[in-house]
Amino acid sequence: MDLTTITPDQTLDTRGLACPMPLLKTKKTLKGMQSSQVLEVLGDDPGSKNDIPDWAGKKGNEFLGMADDDQGYTRYFIKKG
Amino acid sequence: MQSGSFIASVKEEARKNYIAVFEQDWPSWLSGIFIALLALMIFLWDSPWGIAGGYKNWGNWVLYALDINSDKPFAPWLHPMSMSNVGIFAGAFFSAMMSRQFKIRQAPNLEYAKGIIGGILMGTGAAFAGGCNVGGFFTATGMLSMGGIAMMVGLGGGAWIGLKYLLWELEHLPAKPLSQKGGSKPFLGTNWDRVQPYIGTGVLVAVIAAFYTYAGVDKAQIGGLLFLGFLIGLVMHRSRFCFVRAFRCPFMTGEAEMVKVVTMSLMIYGMGSAIIKWAWIKDPMTGVYHPFFLGSLAGGFIFGVGMILAGGCASSTLWRIGEGHLKLVMTMIGFALSNALTSKAIAALQLSEKLGSAIFMPDVFTWGMTIPLFIIFFVLWAFIAIWNEDAETFVIF
Repeated sequence: MDLTTITPDQTLDTRGLACPMPLLKTKKTLKGMQSSQVLEVLGDDPGSKNDIPDWAGKKGNEFLGMADDDQGYTRYFIKKG
Repeated sequence: MQSGSFIASVKEEARKNYIAVFEQDWPSWLSGIFIALLALMIFLWDSPWGIAGGYKNWGNWVLYALDINSDKPFAPWLHPMSMSNVGIFAGAFFSAMMSRQFKIRQAPNLEYAKGIIGGILMGTGAAFAGGCNVGGFFTATGMLSMGGIAMMVGLGGGAWIGLKYLLWELEHLPAKPLSQKGGSKPFLGTNWDRVQPYIGTGVLVAVIAAFYTYAGVDKAQIGGLLFLGFLIGLVMHRSRFCFVRAFRCPFMTGEAEMVKVVTMSLMIYGMGSAIIKWAWIKDPMTGVYHPFFLGSLAGGFIFGVGMILAGGCASSTLWRIGEGHLKLVMTMIGFALSNALTSKAIAALQLSEKLGSAIFMPDVFTWGMTIPLFIIFFVLWAFIAIWNEDAETFVIF
């Protein structure tokens, strides 16, 4: 999937936060969103690279992909199921 | 065969292995096996593995410098747990350098505050429980001390409270995202990412040199602890091994992965130490001193709240510092000082007898029953966590 074409409905900035805060905030933000909306998460904790894709693929949501930004953080895209 | 092609083949193989070892994360079940085996080696080499004792040694130096303590503590470079801690940090730093993941990682002020408070709580809890999540829970259980089980229950309760607080914080304390400065910019005219593996190799050489230096002055035992700690730090960083997750995730996402890994690791550790102790290779009561059950339970509870706030336990604090997290430097300072102070207070108030006494599982259940009960207990924990993955009975929100 081409991530550059995605327009997220909401963006969550977790940069500077470490485990477990990024995942906790992602879960909470996603809870407040509508089905099939897309959440973009910005994060720079190396642990999130496993945590967010693993978690987001379960529980009926869809993990669309992630991309490293050249500013040293990663963008994650999750579609609410 | 030409000699050139042999070299080329070695180079190609080395490159492939470098990627497998340092660029891809290790599966957590593999690290569970490694951690158990390394902990058993530390037990055979010297004495059971712990971490809080090393922090306490560092904290005691501060108390000594401030004239609160009059006894001079052990030199940190001769203290066994202090040196295995240095090893864990060095191993994680080596690993972070080799995988080009080291970066000074700043955090918002609220996170620094949580880091210090979490560290203070963990230091206090570890003083009551006679050890941290390693010495008081993982190793205690592996050594078949009942205190380990009591601390496990406490850690679970503390993690639940800690998570409740984090949820409250999300509702009531708006987070200010950290303003970002550029990523991997050239530093001092060099591309930092390319230099990292060379620094990592330097750390590896320094640790090996340190081992031989210790051996040369008849302190091979201390040098060995540094090296075994180094391997633990490497394993923990490569797999992002985290005891906290085993206690937190069942309440947070329902995920049971780390519960499976920790229970499996404990079964290997416990059965290994049963062989060593039943055969009297080491005195069976070695490493059995945890205050069952009040000290371990209450200590585990306080520790459990702290590890959630800090985002790291005694061991993951060390390896995350090795990756550059400044928040966890705060945690370590809080941990060291509060552990030294609380231990002093417990001794001064003569509380230790009230907190409980050391109980060796085979003394209660006999050797024959201890082993099956031990296995059944941890298999049951794993199965409850796996069931909870879908049922989400324990998930808070």
